[in-house]
Amino acid sequence: MADYILRRLGIGLVTLLGVAVMVFFIMRILPGDAAVMMSGAGAGAVSEKELAEVRSKLGLDRSLPVQFAEWAGKVAVFDLGTSLRTGKPVIEDIARRFPYTLQVVVMAMVIAVLVGVPMGVLSAAFPGSWGDQALRALSIVGLAAPSFWVGLILILALVWMFQWSAPLFWEPFWVSPWKSITQLFWPALAVGMRQLALIARMTRSIMLEVLGEDFIRTARAKGLSEWAVVMRHGLRNGLLPVVTLIGFEVSALFGGLIVTETVFSVPGLGQYVVTAILNRDYPAAQGIVLILAGIVVLGNLTVDLLYGALDPRTRVQAADK
Amino acid sequence: MSDAGAAPAVVPAGARGARWRTLARIAREQPLGAFGALVLLVMVVVAIGAPVFAPFDPTQGDAASLNSAPNARNWLGTDAFGRDNLSRLIYGARISLMVGLGASLLGVVVGAALGIVSTYRGGWVDTITQRVMDALLAFPMLLLALAMAAVLGPSLPNVIVALAVPIAPRAARIARSSVLVLKATTFIEAARATGCSDLRIIVRHILPNTFAPLLVIATAYLGLAIVQEAALDYLGAGIQEPDSSWGLMMSGSATALALTAPWIVIFPGLAICLTVLASNLLGDAIRDLLDPKLRGK
Amino acid sequence: MNRNDAMQPGRASRRRVLKAGVGALAAGAAPRWSAAQTPKRGGTLRLSSGGDPPDFDVHQTATYLSQFVGAPCYSTLMRADPKDYNRLLPDLAEKTDVSADGRTVTFQLRDGVVFHNGMPLTAEDAAYSLERIRNPAKGIVSPRKGLLGNVEAIEARGPRTLVVRLSQAQPDFLFLVSNPFNVIVPKRVAEPLDAQGQGMKRQIVGTGPFRLTQAVDGQIYELTRFDKYFGPAPFLEKIQMFPIRGEVERSAALQGKRIDGCFFFPNESVLATLRKVPGMTALRRPTPTFINLIPNVQRKPFDDPRVREALSLALDRESFIKTVGPLSGAFYHSLGLMPPGSPYSLSAADIRQFGGYDTLPGLGGNLAANRARAIALLEQAGVPRGFKIVIPTRGDVPAFRDAAINIASQLKAVNLDVTVDIRDAGAFYTIETKGEFQMVVHSVAMGGSTPDQILGEGYTSYGGRNYGMWKDDALDAMYKAQSRELDAKKRGELIRQFQLAFLKTHYQINLAWVGYGAAYWNTVQGWNALPDLYANMQFGEVWLDA
Repeated sequence: MADYILRRLGIGLVTLLGVAVMVFFIMRILPGDAAVMMSGAGAGAVSEKELAEVRSKLGLDRSLPVQFAEWAGKVAVFDLGTSLRTGKPVIEDIARRFPYTLQVVVMAMVIAVLVGVPMGVLSAAFPGSWGDQALRALSIVGLAAPSFWVGLILILALVWMFQWSAPLFWEPFWVSPWKSITQLFWPALAVGMRQLALIARMTRSIMLEVLGEDFIRTARAKGLSEWAVVMRHGLRNGLLPVVTLIGFEVSALFGGLIVTETVFSVPGLGQYVVTAILNRDYPAAQGIVLILAGIVVLGNLTVDLLYGALDPRTRVQAADK
Repeated sequence: MSDAGAAPAVVPAGARGARWRTLARIAREQPLGAFGALVLLVMVVVAIGAPVFAPFDPTQGDAASLNSAPNARNWLGTDAFGRDNLSRLIYGARISLMVGLGASLLGVVVGAALGIVSTYRGGWVDTITQRVMDALLAFPMLLLALAMAAVLGPSLPNVIVALAVPIAPRAARIARSSVLVLKATTFIEAARATGCSDLRIIVRHILPNTFAPLLVIATAYLGLAIVQEAALDYLGAGIQEPDSSWGLMMSGSATALALTAPWIVIFPGLAICLTVLASNLLGDAIRDLLDPKLRGK
Repeated sequence: MNRNDAMQPGRASRRRVLKAGVGALAAGAAPRWSAAQTPKRGGTLRLSSGGDPPDFDVHQTATYLSQFVGAPCYSTLMRADPKDYNRLLPDLAEKTDVSADGRTVTFQLRDGVVFHNGMPLTAEDAAYSLERIRNPAKGIVSPRKGLLGNVEAIEARGPRTLVVRLSQAQPDFLFLVSNPFNVIVPKRVAEPLDAQGQGMKRQIVGTGPFRLTQAVDGQIYELTRFDKYFGPAPFLEKIQMFPIRGEVERSAALQGKRIDGCFFFPNESVLATLRKVPGMTALRRPTPTFINLIPNVQRKPFDDPRVREALSLALDRESFIKTVGPLSGAFYHSLGLMPPGSPYSLSAADIRQFGGYDTLPGLGGNLAANRARAIALLEQAGVPRGFKIVIPTRGDVPAFRDAAINIASQLKAVNLDVTVDIRDAGAFYTIETKGEFQMVVHSVAMGGSTPDQILGEGYTSYGGRNYGMWKDDALDAMYKAQSRELDAKKRGELIRQFQLAFLKTHYQINLAWVGYGAAYWNTVQGWNALPDLYANMQFGEVWLDA
């Protein structure tokens, strides 16, 4: 087992190295120039000579491999460099914004699980019923609606109906937890819609499969109530793949947040990374993509380990992968 | 099954009839899937026949009727440039469907090819491909598309490529797991023992067996690509004006008009929802039909 | 022979001419501030802008986002009168003398002015600041150095006297130096930072009525009253600024009384909604920002004046204003190159001789005839039907994006096949500065309305806004001639001649002028909506009637 974890960690590191190489070079081939963006972009009057000076100051005039080596060397000791836009260490910017993003993700996931799992279970308990069909269709609508559109419509509806408007100052969770939760509820809902739908669908199909297996038949034969059969035997055994899905989806959620945070102006990582890319803020964009990738890698590893721990049958297979 | 077998005597007409009956039976069994297929079909027809169906030129605005609400002349109202929303929606279907189909097909085909070949070959080719795919998978999907779109510049083919890039590793992953299972089974061994070439094994034995899951994810990514294209437009890295796409209709000044002229953002959003809904329903139905375990449930 | 009559900044002589011209416009801007009420002290003014300032070094940026936070914190040598932007008031300079030949300007600084960090202001600081704009240290970028291009030498004589020598007389010089971006920074703070190539990007150390006390990226910028401010103490205790990207979201925050005011509502339908709210003032005023179509003169076929004239002929300015105005605030127009209401505007007869300008509202031009002539000109110049043109634009600003979309569809009428490449700002500016385009549509925001500001920056070969990269020595010479003319009447004629000569070339094709949209609750008092947004952002006279 320890061997397996070590090997997986090694692979994870290689993956991160790959991400680092990719994000570094993608940022450099993006049309646009950090020096232009830092020099009063749009005001004209900035000569090529001045731009060259800015570039040399930032070290952007050196060859790409040299720049990459320097950046990678710093990253290896957990230094993500200084943001060109905010002038602060990237890690500091990330640390301040990460809690908001994390909170939205957790809240979105909680909403998705609390609504999605019961929806899926009910759907599977009465397959083919109109309720099942409606829930299926509904869950696909959740998948179908672009999250930024949902956000936009949500804002529209909220403004219309309740004269609601996005908070100006987003309270950090540790300062006033309840206020923070109510503030982030709507963005979390807009983001969690998709996960809710996915979880409902997954739960339904897993439960259908499980409910068809022999031990369920045995349980029914023992005269247990249908409710007990579904809840005690079905759900417990069906939950495993759902847990896996949740693990994978948490990483997908971080991606989905990018647009929603922009729509709601939540000061989280999503907004930060978009601003960083649009401003050609290389260190910030690279750092954050690396962090997000790290979360994905860790998330996948955790899911695999959890899976192995929960279901001994898969342990061998997982080790094979 | 029984229907088809009941009429073997009347060959040509009956065969056609039987096919229709099979279709009808599938539609009865999978009403949602049939609905999805129908919606997609209608959309494709409308998109292809856009010049026939669209009541107005989607690029020419009427400065005398800006942001007008849905009315008898402009069924879905007009946008900020006085352009007919229905016509833009119909022409937009062309771009959005092309992006959806193009990106999901390109991504799935390239990804599946990479996944199948590298997994089948194994060895260092497989290891390297795997690591590259891992890295791509760890990239947030939309960010990858955004960066690719910004690198390539805005145009229809570029957006398709940009959106296909994040799809490919996901398709490769699916293909890989199918191939791994197949490689472990005896019939590939048997085929190899009888002297089948690798190409033949891949084409004749592996491809047909990975086809079902790939088809299912292709339908899922069709919808996702349309949604992501809209997000790219929203972030300002999508299709070129004055062309129309559903995402483009919802971006730019349309968002500032969302309170006073909500029809400008609502209809293209609904069109996206409907398309994604249809493609997912179709995907579900295909999976149910092709998965023997689920049949009869 | 030195003429020692102090030029009273309050009556910057030749401006009286201008005043008459703008009076008509300002009449509509009746301030809500009634003299009967006595201003109250205290309170927090909550405002919103469209995003985070990229940095706080206003010398190094051109965006209003930096200026919005910087203006209440910084001072300039002189500044526009918040009640009449064509008058200059003393700010840091209590007295200003101009020599008889107009080439030596002497500023006498106030005594006892201190920076927010407690250091006293000296003439060294003022000299360093102007030098920093004109000729910055290595690694520091100054987009407005062209404004001070006529400066020959800057010298601090003693602790409170600053002498600026000009290479030729320049009646507009005091206005250029009072540009709200040309603030005075402390030398002892800025110099070492500049040497590192960093500059004043991360801190604000000014002499203004407010000081920056909190800055949380993406959340809040808080300014607090500076107790040692040299001028009359500001009424407000604090100003909070919240970056909110979406316009609808900003208007919702305003309606929900989460903020007291916002000056950034380009979209007319948003502003119209706010106009209907009882207790709210919502208005639109022109500001010196114009939208031009700029062909790249270095690229074929736009080197051909016939092609450029055809572009101008093809465009219906009235329909442009009708369509793009509600989206971007570009509701205004002027005759010639100067802002709406300028005393230097051309006559209708003057402007009609230039192809396409007769479609400005009220001039009764014949669009169909114009377009027929445009087609003929394109044919003469050998431009094939369906010639493909791509206009790159930035997707996040309606004055760029929506203007380009409208122009693309208008140019279709003369058989040009135009598409609009919607890019992010980073890609757009790189394309633009490198000249990798056929034509761009640019919304050019100026920090002032004087001829040297508008014509110098916008319409000279060496001006900062020459994105189309034309070169014309005759035009540059004409510009310099008007710039040094001290006789107001003669100068007026030279400015007219310059405009006529420039318009003939169609190097830049003017479409419309932009107005800013402001909305605030009536509890906000003492803010006067000038026809120049940049000129009135210090908020020293603003108070809350809460």
